[in-house]
Amino acid sequence: MNGPEIFKLTRLTGVWLCLVFLPVWGASWAVGILIPNILSELGKESSSQSLFMFISDLCKLLTPILSILVFIPINAMFMVLFERRALAIFTVRMGPNRTGFDGLAQTAADAVKLLFKEDITPTGADALLFTLAPIIFFAPSIFGALPLLAAITGNHELFQIVNLPTGVFYILAAASLPVVALVMAGWSSNNKYSLVGGLRAAAQAVSYEIPLVLALVTVCLMAGSLDVVKIAEQQAGGILNWNILGGGALTGLDKAIPALISGNSAEWSATLAKYYPHGFLSALATVALTISSFILCGLYLTSACAEINRIPFDLPEAESELVSGYNTEYSGIKFAIFFLAEFTNLFIVSSIATVMFFGGGGNPIPQWILAMLPMEQISAMMNSLLDIPINKLQLLDPKTFWNAFWVIVKVYSIVFFAVLVRGTLPRFRIDQLMDFGWKRLVPLALITFMVVVFARVAVVCHAG
Amino acid sequence: MSTQEATPNALPKLKTDEMVINMGPQHPATHGVLRMVLTLDGEWVRHAEAVLGHLHRAQEWQGQNRTWFQYQALIDRVDYLSGMFTSWALCRTAEVLEEQTIPERAEWLRVMVSEMNRISSHLLWLGTYLIDLGAMFGFPFYPFREREKLLDLFEEVAGQRMMFNYIRIGGVQRDPKATWFQRLRKFTEEFNDRVDEYEAIVTENPIFLRRTKGVGILPLSLAKEFGVTGPSLRGSGSNLDLRKTKPYSVYPKLDFNVQWLDKPEGGDTWDRYILRIREMRESNRIIQQCLDMIPEGPVITKKQIAGLRVKAGEGFSAVESPRGILGCYVTSNGSDKPVRFRWRNPSFCNLSVCGKLLENHPIADIMAIFGSIDVILPDVDR
Repeated sequence: MNGPEIFKLTRLTGVWLCLVFLPVWGASWAVGILIPNILSELGKESSSQSLFMFISDLCKLLTPILSILVFIPINAMFMVLFERRALAIFTVRMGPNRTGFDGLAQTAADAVKLLFKEDITPTGADALLFTLAPIIFFAPSIFGALPLLAAITGNHELFQIVNLPTGVFYILAAASLPVVALVMAGWSSNNKYSLVGGLRAAAQAVSYEIPLVLALVTVCLMAGSLDVVKIAEQQAGGILNWNILGGGALTGLDKAIPALISGNSAEWSATLAKYYPHGFLSALATVALTISSFILCGLYLTSACAEINRIPFDLPEAESELVSGYNTEYSGIKFAIFFLAEFTNLFIVSSIATVMFFGGGGNPIPQWILAMLPMEQISAMMNSLLDIPINKLQLLDPKTFWNAFWVIVKVYSIVFFAVLVRGTLPRFRIDQLMDFGWKRLVPLALITFMVVVFARVAVVCHAG
Repeated sequence: MSTQEATPNALPKLKTDEMVINMGPQHPATHGVLRMVLTLDGEWVRHAEAVLGHLHRAQEWQGQNRTWFQYQALIDRVDYLSGMFTSWALCRTAEVLEEQTIPERAEWLRVMVSEMNRISSHLLWLGTYLIDLGAMFGFPFYPFREREKLLDLFEEVAGQRMMFNYIRIGGVQRDPKATWFQRLRKFTEEFNDRVDEYEAIVTENPIFLRRTKGVGILPLSLAKEFGVTGPSLRGSGSNLDLRKTKPYSVYPKLDFNVQWLDKPEGGDTWDRYILRIREMRESNRIIQQCLDMIPEGPVITKKQIAGLRVKAGEGFSAVESPRGILGCYVTSNGSDKPVRFRWRNPSFCNLSVCGKLLENHPIADIMAIFGSIDVILPDVDR
C-alpha cells in the first residue's frame, strides 16, 4: 500500500469534485431559481408582465442544458487527472504532480495546450467529414445524458422537463450514434491505420451493442417501465431493492425484516406471503432473479466497456498496433473533443449503470436501519440550521442534495473500477473479441432474459 | 419482377485488394526504429518484410578507427540493454589474442554482473512485451521497479546505469565494496518472490493466454535455418546455451540448468515468455552461488592506459547474451587499433525469422510475435 499517494489522490478527488459540482450547482440555481424569482418579483409591478413570465420560463427550460454544458468539460478534466493519478498508484509511478498544487492543474494546462495547438487537416483528407466527426462523436454524449439528469437529481422540478417516458430507449439510441463518427473519422483521415481503427470500431460496436441492450431491456422488463426516473425511484429504500440484487425480488424481504426484528411473526409471515405467493417456487425464483440480475450487471459493464473502447476492448485505438487508431491524424481542438467525449462517455455509461442497477440517487442503507436512528430530529436540526439557504434562497434542496451525493459516490466508484480494470488487463485480439461477444455474451444475455421472464412470475417485483 | 436466378457466378464479384502498410520507423510499438512493410488482406498479414538500417552507426568501422581503449567505452551502445555482454565478448577476444588469463576474482565478478544484466534485460523485455500486448498502463511498470534496483547496483559499481564500460581487457574496472555485495544478496533473496508476483498476474491470465498460446509458432528447423539463438531457439526444442555447451569463464564451476523446452514442432510466444521467466530465476541462482563462492584477490591484471596494444593475430569468441549468441571476431596487427572487426549479433539473426513468423497472422499478433523474439534495434543495425 502506498499511503501518501492514496491520501494525495483522495485530496485531489475532493478538491476537483468541489470544482466540478459547485459551478454546476451554482449555475443551475442562478438560472433555474434566482433569475426567474427576481423576474417574477419585477414583473408584478411592471406593465409587460407576460414578457417577464416568458423570460423566466425560458430560463427554467434552459437549466438542464446549461448544467450539462457546464458539467461536461470540467468533469472530463477531473476524470483525466483522476485516472492518471490512480493509474500511477497502481503502477508504482508518481503521476502528474507538478503543475499547480500537487498536479491539480495538470489537465487544465493540457486543455489550454490543446486549444492553442495548430489544427491540421492532412493532405487528401475529406475536410468536411474530418471536421464533422469529432462533433458527431461528442454531441450524443450531451443529449444522450439528458434523461439521466432527471433520474439522478431525484426528479427535481427543474429537471423534470428532460425526462421521457421512454428514456432508456432514447439513451440507447443516442449511445449507438458515436460509432458513425468513428467510421467517419477513420475513413476521412486518409490514413490506413485510421481506416482499420474505424472499421474495428464499427465491428465492435455492432457486436457489443446487442448484449448491452439485452441487459438493459431485461432490467426494464423487471421494472416494467422504460422511464429512468421511475426505475430509479422503484429502487429507493436501501441496497436490497437495487436492481443488481434481484431487481425488486428482495423487496418483500426488505419489507418483512422490521417485523422480524420487532418479533411480530404474524406480520412477518403475512408480508412474506404477500410478496412471495408461491412458497418454494417463489424462493427459487428469488434466487434465480438475484443471480441473473447480478450477471446482467456484469454483462452491462463488460459490453459498456467495449462500447466506449476502453481496455481490454480498446482495439479501435490500439496503440501498439494502430498507432492511435481512428484519431491518429487528429490534433489540437479536434483531438481534445475526441478525448473529452471519451471520458464523458465513461461517465455517462457509469451513470446509466447507477440508475439501472445501483439504485440511482437512493442511499444503500435499508430503511429499517435508518428507522433506528433519529433521522427526523437530525433533518429538523439541519433544516433550522441551514434555514436561509434551504428555505429563503432555495439554494439547497435536501432531497436533491442527498440524491446527488449518492449518485456521485456510486458513479465515481464505477469509474474507479474501470480505471482498475485498465490498470490490470491486456488487450483482446479482434477475432477473440468477436468470439467473446457473439459466443459468450449474447447467449448469456439471452439466457438471463429467459430466466428473468419466467422467474418474475413467481415473485411480486417492483412493478407488481 | 424478373425471376432472375441469383447463382453465385451471376453475382458481381466483390473487389478485394491487398493493402500495403508501412509499419514504422515511427510506429510507437516497433521498439525503436524498425520499419516493416506489411501486405495486409483485411486484418491479416500476407507478407512481412523488415527494412533495416535506420540506426546504423557503423560500429564495426568505428572499431577499426579507434584505439582499443576508446572502443571499449563505445561497445556498450551496441546492445544497450545488455552492455555487459558486448564488452565481455570484446574483452574475451582481446584476451584470446593476448593469450592472457585474467584474475580469478575478475572472472567471478564478470559472471555476476552479466547475470545481473541478463535479469535486468529480461525484466525490461517483460514490461515492454506486456505493453505490446496492450496492457498499456498496469503491469508493465512492476518489472521496472526491480530493474531500478539492479541499475542502482550497476551505478555503484560501474558509475553508469546503462553504458557500463565495466568489463575491461584484463579484468574488470573496479572491485565493489562489501556493502554492494550485501545489497545484491538482499536483492537475490527477494527476487524470486517478485517473479512469483509477476507470474501470478500474467502467466495464467486468460486474455494473456489467448493472445500468446499457439501464436507465432517457430519450428526448430526454421529456427536453425535462420540462425536463431537464445531463448527463442531454446523455446523450440534445442538446448543450445554457450554457458553449458561451450563453457567459458567460471560457468563450469557453477550449478545451473539450461532452460529449454523439448518442443521440436515449435514453440509459441508463450513458451518464449515462460523461458525468459525461468531464465531470470536461474540467473538469480547463479548470482547467489557467485556471492558464496567469490574468492579474494586483484580484479585486473594491470592498470589500463590509453595506448593499450593487443598482439597481432585473429581471434573469435562468443558469449551467451540474453538474446542469443553474441560473437566478436577481430583481426589485430599489434598496433593500438584493430584492423578488422566483425560482430555476430543475435538480434539480427532473430529478426530475420520474423517475416516468416508473421505471415498469416492478424495485425494484432505482429507485436505479440515481434516482441516475443526480443529484438534490440541498435543490436540489429550496429
